Amino acid sequence: MGVTYATMEMLSSDASSVLFAASDVRCAVPSPSGERTIFSGLSFTIDAGEIVDLIGPSGSGKSSLLTAFARLNPHADGTLTLDGRDSTSFAPQQWRREVAYLPQKPILPGDTVADAIRLPFTLGVRADGQPSDVRPSRHGRGRLARLFRGNAERARQLLPDSRIRETLDAMGCADIDLARAPHDLSGGQAARVSLARTLLTGPRVLLADEVDAGLDDDNAEKVADIMAQAAADGMAIVRIRHRPPDGRATRIVTLADGRLDSKTTDTETEARA
Amino acid sequence: MSGNAYDIDIWGLVVALTMVAVAAGISEVMRMGIGRSLIWSACRALLQLCAMGYVVGYVIRANNVWLVFAVIAVMLVAAVQITLSRAKGVPKGLAGPVLLSLTITMLLMIALVTELVVRPHPWYAPQLVVPLTGMLLGNTVSALAVGLSRFYESMDERRDEIDTMLALGSTAWEAARPSIVSSIRLGLLPTMATLASCGIVTIPGMMAGQVIAGGDPLEAAKYQFVVFAAIAALTLVADSLIMAMVYRTCFTADDQYRPADMRGVR
Repeated sequence: MGVTYATMEMLSSDASSVLFAASDVRCAVPSPSGERTIFSGLSFTIDAGEIVDLIGPSGSGKSSLLTAFARLNPHADGTLTLDGRDSTSFAPQQWRREVAYLPQKPILPGDTVADAIRLPFTLGVRADGQPSDVRPSRHGRGRLARLFRGNAERARQLLPDSRIRETLDAMGCADIDLARAPHDLSGGQAARVSLARTLLTGPRVLLADEVDAGLDDDNAEKVADIMAQAAADGMAIVRIRHRPPDGRATRIVTLADGRLDSKTTDTETEARA
Repeated sequence: MSGNAYDIDIWGLVVALTMVAVAAGISEVMRMGIGRSLIWSACRALLQLCAMGYVVGYVIRANNVWLVFAVIAVMLVAAVQITLSRAKGVPKGLAGPVLLSLTITMLLMIALVTELVVRPHPWYAPQLVVPLTGMLLGNTVSALAVGLSRFYESMDERRDEIDTMLALGSTAWEAARPSIVSSIRLGLLPTMATLASCGIVTIPGMMAGQVIAGGDPLEAAKYQFVVFAAIAALTLVADSLIMAMVYRTCFTADDQYRPADMRGVR
């Protein structure tokens, strides 16, 4: 399927089945000798339920591309749409809530694993999910206090320990103790907690940046399983990977020399047949 | 000088300078390498203080409201310059926010301490307003310099955490909040330490001055407390104001993290 065609279909709205589309994506970083263009004019689409592997030599700009998709990259620009809606009609926070970038390094602030997983629910962008009876007063002291206090209490109501436990167990993470300090986790556990945290926020598109790097095969397999489950539930997932193909991707896309080349994998061919 | 103050004559200054010279000599013998700068700083301090004394004396005698505010304006500009030269790793273009934050703090101080607590006649009484402003600015300048340095340092240290929080949908404020809180706290530490220890370990400079000049020690203590309270509260105000004005320099208009090399660090 040609990307240009897909994009035009997107613009004509309704019938489009493409969940996320990017076109004319460009990234140029400042360097001593002026600007250095890493890539430009890239186009990409992904559908709900798809897993796309993004591969390519290091330094080719894979991470830059994913952060550009999440509107996190100050050096990049391009046209992005979700369900045919242009990204400029979203506030950055709303956009990142739907198109979630998962960094390679798991950063888990908080005293316990449960706190680290609840972090996204302490943020204002998810305040609309709260039960109406606990909504704090919208003016005066409540508002000022909220500026500094964060919303640990509300987060606990939105995402109680019991629900975190269920989710982690369902993800095959029964080995992770919620009351532990995050820095006591092993590398594999931290990677899975970080993934679980983003998955629990329910994004439509997940941009996973080498989440399985540095993990042993066993943990990498667990991480891949968790993502496959999320994709089966309708999430679109882009994975940057350096490992050999694990058979879960519907497509493998190569970024090299500033160009994106797509290759359909056997999985998708089988699925279509 | 009024009351039973003991004046210091020229020989007193010579003795003080000799003390510094001896200390500098000892440090040279011990090869600490600070002798020259010690003497240089002492001479500078003597000149600056005498100049200050002369200017304040003139302003008090002139008793003119415009002159008072002209002196305060000069002090403010100098305070901005000192803040920016002391703060490490801050981007360019902060002079405006620092000046604004210092000005608001200073106006609050004059409104609250001078007009509400002391109520002098005339309302701009130079011998009250000028030294009070000087003390307040001195403390606020250190708090701002420490707070600003710490804020940018913390934002750089927390880069991965900030990127993660932004990716999870935090606003720039939410991502910067831990750095803001820790830098305000650090800026306030010296003030709070002084508050807790004064009167037990130390007799604070202002109170000591009043007592030496023959003032009533209890009066002096009350003055000192009012000034300390004002400094503690207004330092917090100044630090909060500056943080609210500058935290966005670490982010782009699209709420992306702006690394140090894109901020135009001085």
